[in-house]
Amino acid sequence: MPRPEPKIIQLTIDGREVQAPQGEMLVEAARLGDIEIPYFCFERKLGNPVGACRMCLVEIEGIPKLQTSCSTPVKDGMVVHTQTQRVRGAQHAIVEFLLVNHPLDCPVCDKGGECPLQDITFGWGGGRSRFIEPKRHFVKPLALSPLVAIDRERCILCYRCVRFSQEIAEDYQLIFAERGAHTFVATHYGHPYVAPFSGNIIELCPVGALTSQPYRFRARPWDIEDAGGVCTLCPAQCNVSFTVRDEKVMRVLAREHPEVDDGWLCDKGRFAYQAIHVDERITAPMVREGGTLREASWERAFEVAAGLADHRGRVGALAGGGTSNEEGFLLTRLLREGLSSPDLDARVAGPVAPALARAVGAPALQATVTDLEFAHTVLVLGCEPQDDAPILDLRIRKGVRRHGVKLAVVTARPSALDPNATLAIRLAPGGEAAFLAELAGEVQGEGGSELARLLRDGGEDVVILWGERIGADALPHLLSIADRLGLRTREGAGLLEIPSTANGRGLREAGFLPDAGPGYAELPGELEGRCAAEMAAAAADRELTALYLFETDPVREHPDRTLWQRALDHAGLVVAHASVLTEGIREHADVVFPAESHAEKEGTVVHPDGRLQRLRVAIAHPHEVRAGWSVIAELARRMGHDLGVTSSAGAFEQLVDVVPFYAGLTLDELAGRGARWPARAQAAAFPVEAAAAAPASPSAPAFPPPGPVAESDVTAIPPPGPVADAERDAVPAAPAVPARNGTFRLGVHRPIWASPDVEVSPALKFCIARQHAELSPDDARRLGVTGGDTVEVASNGTAVQATVAVHSGVPAGTVFLADGLAENSANAFTDFEVEVRKP
Amino acid sequence: MSPRRSREAALEPAPSDWDTPALPPVPRFGHGSRVPGWDDAVDLTKEPAVVPDLATTPVPEGLRQEIEDAMARYPDRRSASIPALHAAQEEHGWCSPQAIDQVAAVMGVTPAYLTSVATFYDMLVTHPKGRNDVFVCTNISCSLRGADELYEAMLDAAAENPDVDVRSFECLGACDIAPMASVNGEYVGPLEPADAERIVADLRAGRPVLEEKQLRRRPSADPEAR
Amino acid sequence: MRKILFDRIDEPGLNTLAVYERRGGYGALRKALRMTREEVLDELLTSGIRGRGGAGFQMGKKVSFLPKGDMDKFLVCNADESEPGTFKDRELMQKSPHMLVEGIVIAAYAGGIDHSFIYIRGEYDYQADILDAAIEEARAAGYLGERILDSDFSLSLVLHRGAGAYICGEETGLLDSLEGKRGNPRLKPPFPAVEGLYDSPTLINNVETLSTVPHIITMGGAEYAKIGTETSTGTKLVSVSGDVKRPGNYEIELGIPSRQIIYELAGGPLDGREIKLWFPGGSSAPVLTADDLDIPYDFDSLAKAGTMLGSGAIIVVDDSHPVLEVAMKLAKFYAHESCGKCVPCREGTNWTVKMLERIDSGEATPMDLDIMASVQEQIIGNCLCVLGDAMAMPIGSMIEKYRPELEAHIEAARERAGSGALEDVVAIGVADASAGPMPVH
Repeated sequence: MPRPEPKIIQLTIDGREVQAPQGEMLVEAARLGDIEIPYFCFERKLGNPVGACRMCLVEIEGIPKLQTSCSTPVKDGMVVHTQTQRVRGAQHAIVEFLLVNHPLDCPVCDKGGECPLQDITFGWGGGRSRFIEPKRHFVKPLALSPLVAIDRERCILCYRCVRFSQEIAEDYQLIFAERGAHTFVATHYGHPYVAPFSGNIIELCPVGALTSQPYRFRARPWDIEDAGGVCTLCPAQCNVSFTVRDEKVMRVLAREHPEVDDGWLCDKGRFAYQAIHVDERITAPMVREGGTLREASWERAFEVAAGLADHRGRVGALAGGGTSNEEGFLLTRLLREGLSSPDLDARVAGPVAPALARAVGAPALQATVTDLEFAHTVLVLGCEPQDDAPILDLRIRKGVRRHGVKLAVVTARPSALDPNATLAIRLAPGGEAAFLAELAGEVQGEGGSELARLLRDGGEDVVILWGERIGADALPHLLSIADRLGLRTREGAGLLEIPSTANGRGLREAGFLPDAGPGYAELPGELEGRCAAEMAAAAADRELTALYLFETDPVREHPDRTLWQRALDHAGLVVAHASVLTEGIREHADVVFPAESHAEKEGTVVHPDGRLQRLRVAIAHPHEVRAGWSVIAELARRMGHDLGVTSSAGAFEQLVDVVPFYAGLTLDELAGRGARWPARAQAAAFPVEAAAAAPASPSAPAFPPPGPVAESDVTAIPPPGPVADAERDAVPAAPAVPARNGTFRLGVHRPIWASPDVEVSPALKFCIARQHAELSPDDARRLGVTGGDTVEVASNGTAVQATVAVHSGVPAGTVFLADGLAENSANAFTDFEVEVRKP
Repeated sequence: MSPRRSREAALEPAPSDWDTPALPPVPRFGHGSRVPGWDDAVDLTKEPAVVPDLATTPVPEGLRQEIEDAMARYPDRRSASIPALHAAQEEHGWCSPQAIDQVAAVMGVTPAYLTSVATFYDMLVTHPKGRNDVFVCTNISCSLRGADELYEAMLDAAAENPDVDVRSFECLGACDIAPMASVNGEYVGPLEPADAERIVADLRAGRPVLEEKQLRRRPSADPEAR
Repeated sequence: MRKILFDRIDEPGLNTLAVYERRGGYGALRKALRMTREEVLDELLTSGIRGRGGAGFQMGKKVSFLPKGDMDKFLVCNADESEPGTFKDRELMQKSPHMLVEGIVIAAYAGGIDHSFIYIRGEYDYQADILDAAIEEARAAGYLGERILDSDFSLSLVLHRGAGAYICGEETGLLDSLEGKRGNPRLKPPFPAVEGLYDSPTLINNVETLSTVPHIITMGGAEYAKIGTETSTGTKLVSVSGDVKRPGNYEIELGIPSRQIIYELAGGPLDGREIKLWFPGGSSAPVLTADDLDIPYDFDSLAKAGTMLGSGAIIVVDDSHPVLEVAMKLAKFYAHESCGKCVPCREGTNWTVKMLERIDSGEATPMDLDIMASVQEQIIGNCLCVLGDAMAMPIGSMIEKYRPELEAHIEAARERAGSGALEDVVAIGVADASAGPMPVH
């Protein structure tokens, strides 16, 4: 879809000539000319103005009445006055009216010092009030949710919070109740405002009416400093600003990046910072002695970890999502060069052959986050943005609402985006590959399914947002669809992958793969290693004897927890970097190095759309924590292998040197906004297969689609995860797979809250993910259970407890469970035919 | 016109398990807005109120049909919110949380959306009330002709009768029969305070209210128009 | 006086299609459908008819503002008659519903509109039932629906009942309410003619205006324009209420002296009473005094007198009522009906009520009248819609025209309440004011 390219026009404000894009609202255009017009209700991010607060009234020549500058688009030659007697009179009036009922409790107000109402009263108010009636008083503060407190006395009814809930997050839980002066911000019948993005209303509130429960009274604006950073709790990698007081993160605010987060944050990103400063956090090295982990000196920890040298050739390494490019890169060097061990993997969704990975990662195919907003059609495939990369959910909603993007959702589990979709298609769990195979045939030629027609005929700019967990088998089909739709040749079209871990893309590009080096370079045969699932099997069989777990706990994060437990149990040495003692670490690690939080780490990460972003140090390392890169480097040195790095920046330089498509990148270039490597000239150095680089012709898709490719490339081991297993008898687009012999097909998803950081953050205790068995109403009736009941989901002697949740969107015969949980996680299952029964 | 909370109730701190330290109650001014809700915290034990699933929300068949018919009349189903809430109020006596949940399930909107609509309009009531509505107009034209006395008389007459909900209302658009009232939608006037007893008695007996004073029987005032 | 809308309005059964047709009903529609859209629009423009809802904007012009083209367009008949003192639409809809339906179909034809709604206030239950029946009859007879009277023109008509909110009479508040939301007014621009109901071009007209349309088509726009004055053409239904002997709706030719309406038609003040003040156009119009009774009753003459014709509702207040009582009723009404969206209206109406209450309780000084007047000025022109102005203008006019009475009221109330002698308080007030700006609050 063509994006707006506004013409620059000239207008006069207070006698000053100001240049601004045509159609820009006057209040924003004035800022371009260094003229400030006060306002409360206006917020660009919220979309269309409401004009409710009337604070921004200005005089425009030729218009008799004062106009709200928040709702007046600028025109060429417009003459505006913001300083006249009339305008001032109106400003004084509005401030006086606002203060009629706003309490002057600024000294005890959490917003004091960073309050727009305070500032505007000082700057534009009349300086006195004639209101001598007593003000209204109410009980305050009250809980609006466990995260947000509301003070209704202070509320000036500016509409920002309710507009956010209604028009941005579209959860429509926050409303105005009653009318006139009685109006107040409320929810339905005392239900709390709990939604994935609820915390944004705190930041939007221009007074102290909505305050953060965890931040209330923790600091005054003059006590704090802001430090820019990037949240690495999920692949969305939102830009954040850490509020720091005395080397402690007190709060996280959005640091608006239009091409990443659009200025919003999810509640996990906003509140899970608490995990940085909790007692549960590991802040000193630990060594297992006499069966239990005990704090130890760094010296001792290094000594034990250096024992890796005795396992040369038989060490496997996994890295978690928070791992920076530099850490991942140094770790590959340590393993491959120092320990002659090629077994490296950071993917939890299963392996993808390097050729295929290169093909889907080709720069020409990559869509950006902004493309989601301006595409003709967005296809959400096999992922739930709200859980997997929450902020993208808001971007898709924005595109649909404001730019008329047509949305198709193709998932197994009902999606939060279904109500916005032109087309929502339910697959059998794991049915993506079969579905895409059929779709690839349909998009060619004419006719076909509704989805095929929408993709082919609904406009050229198609963005396919897909989740890594759709699995390798689906990718050849995805590629042929992309080629048949011509996505490679369109600027605003392409594929956008949500990796299954936060820096999944960066780690792959850094060569944290068993079968490819940095920059997807081909490896000599002896350096080809095992993927994660193979590592688990090999360790369980004592073929691998040591495991290096960098900020990950496979028992929790990877499929088949039982196998991983056995693997860790059988390994002679388990070295881990961790910040919390999760199950696998607590029971199996021999050495635990304290891991850095995202507020402490220095390095770079890669956003799903190829943007390298910089992590910066916001706070000093607490207690004994050391930088991850330095620990790896020191460990390597102790094993007699000098990696030649003395800083994270040094590691970055090494990485840039070996990844051809990063060539020439500097940290300075990444400062602030980061840089998308696919948009740089050096992207040409990306190792794309000749066939894939050539423009696609419908008759010869770049990748020969179906079967054999997947078979041979995905290696011989039984592919882990539900995908391949369910693929056997997948029913494409089947809304209902009847339960056979009382068994259910199991679908697995990972909720946004399934994370150790959430579990240890006091403010988020209320939303820790618990296991729910999502059933269709028919199945629930048949089983004689209703929402809230406890059931047991079982298969092959493994059982997990779950609370029933009944949704009419769930296809009959299917049950959905969550994984990534501390307890009763779905990764206990290896068979995806399960039984659901009352305990 | 809004239901008033007693002043004593307003002085009590709102029940909230959020703010733990038990402070002595702070004396508050009893004036100003006393809309229920101002002083209420949310109940943190409740789940967030998302769009109710029709599969798990029982809705009386007639009500469901009526709401679906209403939705079919408009290009956008949300336009049906007022007719749907009217129907639910008819069914349940008031726009109870349960009634709102049912409408929300049929319409596929959040209950909060309907709450915000229901609390905006005077004829939709979000607290329990008597089945019979008596709206006494106390706006300017009626009050010039004694509506305030009529309203008091009406309140007295219905005091013992929980089935009759008497409210003062803004101009009902019948100043030609001032002072007047709307009894279950039937406009009657001009009324004397003495008519209040009759209205309650007629309602009780289930007969047409004040037949001789019904607006529908009144000829035009314009002598040349008849 | 000539009767157009009210011609034999009490004829039994006029609300049914049979009687309406027997009287020539829907003849205007047949005539209109034989004309081109442009010709029908021309007749409306020539008639010069101004909107009967309150703003008095020329109806023909409104229709001509609609964009041409194939997009969805809507007509909404504003039957949310809520302006205090106004009850003319109620009588029209109840007694001659088909006149309105016919007017809607013709106006929609002129505007190239294919969907229409009547937004009737929820309190008009009986009238809504009558309209529903009339719409059903009209549809069955082929005056509504697909291919009306075998022409190419189709129109749907849906009756929508409101639920009690004055602000829904404001055209954009009405649109939001019709879309199923809270009836908050919208920012203008964009105007409804460009972006109205469901973001589509929308024509919004009052019941009386639309009911006049068939008559304009029947008699011709030029003929209609001969009635009334040059800029206020036609007849107007006037609702007279308050302290008069014969309150009711009267159809008048625009331009006759106001005195004639109040004294001859409505019978004048009650025996032994004098007129103290009167609202010429609903409670939102600045008040006039007994000296203003000879002003001709038309749009421009009343505007020249600093007030407005508004909805055409005359409310008469006699000398038995203190001005404060009237002001208080009004202020409370507008505070109750303010939607709360914009600050000056929400807080200004509320504050005004508190100040008026203080006058009555003996806690005010004449300085409070100055503050009150200034608060009204701070409201006027600064609000999102006209509701704030609708309170501020009449209250402002009362303070201006009845200041001596209000001051006397203040003094008497102080005495009653034992609040102390006024001179002392005023002296302190003056000293304070000269001391320069006070700190905020």
